[in-house]
Amino acid sequence: MRVLEVVNVRKSFGGLAALGGLDLHVDEGEILSVIGPNGAGKSTVFNLITGIYEPDDGDIRYFGESIVGLRPNQIVKLGIARTFQNVRLFPNMTVLENAKVGQHCRSKGGVFGSILRSGSVRAEEERIRERAKEALAFFGSRLAGYRLEQPSFSLSYANRRRLEMARALATTPRLLLLDEPTAGMNPRETLELRDRIVQMRDRLGVTVIVIEHDMRVVKGVSDRVVACDYGRKIADGTYDEVAAHERVIEAYLGRRHEDTA
Amino acid sequence: MTIAEGAPATSVADVRLSTFERLPWRRIILVLLAIVIVAVTTIGIYKTLTSPEAANYSGEFWAQLTVDGLSYGAILSMVALGYSMVYGILRMINFAHGEVFMAGGFASFFFANAYAKSGFLNSNTVVAVLIVMTVSVLVSVGVALLLERVCYRPLRNAPRLVPLITAIGASLFIQNSFRGFFGPQSYGYPRPSSLNGQVPILGVHVNKIDIAVLVVAVVCMLVLQMFVSRTKTGRSMRAVAEDREIASLMGIDVDRTIAITFAVGGVLAGIAGVLFGMTFQQIQFTSGFTLGIAAFTAAVLGGIGSIGGATLGGFLIGVLRAVGPVLILTGFGIPSVHSLNEAFVFLVLVLVLVFRPGGLLGTGEAEKV
Amino acid sequence: MDVRRLVRVGAICGAVTVYFALVGLTDRFAKLALVGSSVTMGRLVLVIAPLIAGYAVGRPRTRSGTTVSLPIRDAVVHGLVAGAIAGAVFALFVIFVDAFGVERVRGVFINVSPAMMEYVTFGQTAVVAALILTAASAVAGGLGGGYPVLPVTLRKPTGSAVLAVFALGFLQRIVPIALDQLNVERDWLYSRRLGGLTWAGAVVVAAIAASLSILKQRKGDRIRELVRAPSVEGSTRPSGTQIVVALVLLGLVLVTPLLVGSVISNVLGFVLIFALLGLGLNIVVGYAGLLDLGYVFFFAVGAYSLALLTGASLNTFTGSGPPAVSADLNFWVAVPIVMLIAAGAGVLIGAPVLRLRGDYLALVTLGLGEMVTVLLRSPWLEPLVGGPSGMRGVTDAAIGGFGFQDPVHFYYLGIAFVAFAAFISWRLASSRIGRAWTAMREDEQIADAMGVSTTRYKLLAFAMGGAIGSLGGALFAVKIGSLTPASFELLVSIQVLGIVILGGIGSIPGVIVGSLVLVGLPGLLREFEEYRLLAYGAAIVAVMLLRPQGLVPNVRRSRELHEEDEAQDKWAGDVPRDEHVAAGISPEGTGAG
Repeated sequence: MRVLEVVNVRKSFGGLAALGGLDLHVDEGEILSVIGPNGAGKSTVFNLITGIYEPDDGDIRYFGESIVGLRPNQIVKLGIARTFQNVRLFPNMTVLENAKVGQHCRSKGGVFGSILRSGSVRAEEERIRERAKEALAFFGSRLAGYRLEQPSFSLSYANRRRLEMARALATTPRLLLLDEPTAGMNPRETLELRDRIVQMRDRLGVTVIVIEHDMRVVKGVSDRVVACDYGRKIADGTYDEVAAHERVIEAYLGRRHEDTA
Repeated sequence: MTIAEGAPATSVADVRLSTFERLPWRRIILVLLAIVIVAVTTIGIYKTLTSPEAANYSGEFWAQLTVDGLSYGAILSMVALGYSMVYGILRMINFAHGEVFMAGGFASFFFANAYAKSGFLNSNTVVAVLIVMTVSVLVSVGVALLLERVCYRPLRNAPRLVPLITAIGASLFIQNSFRGFFGPQSYGYPRPSSLNGQVPILGVHVNKIDIAVLVVAVVCMLVLQMFVSRTKTGRSMRAVAEDREIASLMGIDVDRTIAITFAVGGVLAGIAGVLFGMTFQQIQFTSGFTLGIAAFTAAVLGGIGSIGGATLGGFLIGVLRAVGPVLILTGFGIPSVHSLNEAFVFLVLVLVLVFRPGGLLGTGEAEKV
Repeated sequence: MDVRRLVRVGAICGAVTVYFALVGLTDRFAKLALVGSSVTMGRLVLVIAPLIAGYAVGRPRTRSGTTVSLPIRDAVVHGLVAGAIAGAVFALFVIFVDAFGVERVRGVFINVSPAMMEYVTFGQTAVVAALILTAASAVAGGLGGGYPVLPVTLRKPTGSAVLAVFALGFLQRIVPIALDQLNVERDWLYSRRLGGLTWAGAVVVAAIAASLSILKQRKGDRIRELVRAPSVEGSTRPSGTQIVVALVLLGLVLVTPLLVGSVISNVLGFVLIFALLGLGLNIVVGYAGLLDLGYVFFFAVGAYSLALLTGASLNTFTGSGPPAVSADLNFWVAVPIVMLIAAGAGVLIGAPVLRLRGDYLALVTLGLGEMVTVLLRSPWLEPLVGGPSGMRGVTDAAIGGFGFQDPVHFYYLGIAFVAFAAFISWRLASSRIGRAWTAMREDEQIADAMGVSTTRYKLLAFAMGGAIGSLGGALFAVKIGSLTPASFELLVSIQVLGIVILGGIGSIPGVIVGSLVLVGLPGLLREFEEYRLLAYGAAIVAVMLLRPQGLVPNVRRSRELHEEDEAQDKWAGDVPRDEHVAAGISPEGTGAG
């Protein structure tokens, strides 16, 4: 089943054309990597998918239905969650609280229920707590135990990235968008995260789209790779196919001097 | 982890339906509001102009009203420029700027009063007025710099609302300090006799003081424009307004530049204070508050952060305030329309912020955080 | 010895003393005796700034991570010098006024009266007075300088003792009355003739305070653990000791009006009304982070709706008449309707406005708040609310035959409502809704991206905050019995904001403390009444600069506002958090990662 389809999407900011007709798609259970030089418009695609911006042109379809024009909190309800390039946690909320916010869209405690703390609201809070802990537990002992009560600003960099992912997982998504998840991590952490991403798909059944620069990660997780440059797709295929693609190499390394003559 | 309870919605319609109240409604309310406003305005104007009282409102009446409005608008512009410049450089509203204006005006009163009593004001008007203005400017600049140093500098990196709240407190404090110093009563501000009376211009009798105010204000604004665009300090101000960090990396003393910005706003406010006093011939500790709100409205209306915007906004608000209530509301048979001037300005403020927070010369969208 | 710094601090504090004199504080408080006949509030006003000057130059400072603490002799000397300079500045002012002529100065600064001059010169000539003032200020500065570098075991008891004596002297309108009601002999403590503490009384108070302080030092940690309140989101069972403490506090609260008499209970009634308003605004500003400067709107809606629903009548030229719309419901039936009306109004107003950014929202609400009085006074609404003359005849909130007009009875009504509002606030804060608000406050865009519908939750905050505020309005209507637009000025909004900020943004007990201080004190001390707004302004500025989390902080907010400072603290060692901000030292860029 085609989970997500981005069809000929364009987006400009002022005079700057960030995306000039981008296509991509991902099927259920796939892990798709999106690569490309900086400024190629990759994060913009994520922003468009999650409703932070609206595309100037083109369509975005989720399980066949267009989701253009929906607000971010509605899109999360549909099952699309994401992380951000520059980790955006709720700094003064604890680790557990951050994860609980993820469960917000899966619960519905209203005003009167909350004030009276009725049975159903209490049960729901328990469920939220359990789900949040489950999501955190996905990363083993790093985000467990005493850490749960610590404010998130006090975590190490790698743990903050993990927390952001756990928070996204807590929304029980069908599609997960990871924006440069391994940026700034050391080699050991990077490889660990690479395996975790695959586990997300295998254990949780989540479809994943990853924006990445680290090719070890891309090679290790991807079923398919899409390469972008200047807001357009320039290659689509397996890792090996894309890595060898002439235009991809050109985008990253430039053309050799003789070739331009 | 299972995706059982609390699973994602199955279709867009589900998500849309559960939140249907929101998306169309806000636009509906806004559109309705806009229609109501336009309707009220047009009907009001029509009824006013065709009503029996309209006979009293000759062309000269409207012209005088407009000139009055322009004159007040000039004063507003000068204060609005202070708001705009500080906003441009700090992205914060200096809520207490109205008190900067009041402080100068009030302080200058004592000199003006003394000179009026001794006759100096009328015998050597130009010198006397210059001295009075200097006093006003000095006090206004002093208050502005004090505000910057105490309320804004330590809070430059604080969450956005903190300086705003602090400024509110500062405004309250300054107002009531002046009340404590000088008493709650309103003082009668003198006016040089040469500025009393009217002058016929194009067949309309215009108040001399209005002309004086307009001339002084326009000169000041031209000087400001030249200062900002031609001098090194002006360039620094523009640079810091664009990007504080890079400006400091380029060797600009950011602290000093910000202080100068406040000071320049203070100069304009100080001059405006004297002009205000001489026009309305009264000053008291609350004079800054109401005018401050009007000036802020003007700055926002024109597009906050922009010098041209503040000027345009000031004149617009001035005229709207003078002409609006009379023109629109008399038609509905509302008595004593003039007391509604301030309310009218507030209404304009609310409407501008709801419909076009970026102002007339702005982008049309308030920046989202 | 950094002379420049001493001169600068001293000069500023001297200017502050001059300010006090010009604004009239010195004068007004001249008669308020604190201890005996010589320690008056007015004299305190004269030396407080030099004292603070001394404190500022004597205390330990943190530079680049190291704490520099002066040896006590140096600290005292620094303080002496700074204090002397402060005194000299004020002395110059006195000489100047004397030379220029009091009457001439009075023409400009109205508080510079012969009486005031007499007071600050101690009846001496200007020059002698100048010397006395400089010397006294120097001493004050020296004391201020020495205090912070005393060893902790000395410092805390001394501080407690001085604070206790000052507090009891200051509260001379309340404590003696309470003692009288309890039939406790109190002439040994408070002088009937002078008003303040007697010397003997002061000594006893100081001794008790010092002892308590020493006790706290020895056993402090244990006590703190026993009493510590549960965290905001936690649902931990309170311990036995906590329950006992809570019950004792509850008992005190319930018994207060009987202790303090009906005059003070009357003031407390207003404290409770404003506390109610504060709790409502606390939801809007504290929980949802929306700066609402037009909160008086809900106050007015509550008061006038209640009046209309319970059959009050309009004041007209000819006497009184019925409003255009009215009902004759019982108070208790009307209240839920009032809350609904307020909530509805909140949603209507909020819908177009809440998407604006912080400062703009503040100003729009300011504009709306200003329009409240205009509308109330306007001829259009006159048939409904009575225009400038207002309404009268609001019926009492009687249950059966038990009326609440008596101040003591009203106090209990107020307590009930405040408890209700506090309960609602507390439950909301520690629920999923509170979590959504917090997320929104921390990062609105990400909260939205994580499923929190910001529009809905902002509207909810507005509606709930408005509903609670309307309760305050309803109570106000009942207490006063009649309503005029003059009670609903924009200034009320700012006062409520002051209460929330002073007490602690987002903190429920903070709001109550804030109301006690900002509404209770001016109500109890006539001298303060005149300076009420000045105090509001100063309080807001001071809190924002020195202790942004307020007097009784909410733990999380404390974190938000001091995140950087805490990081510095961990590095710098054992210097109290507030010092950093007070010293004007901004975090030097090495934030928490």
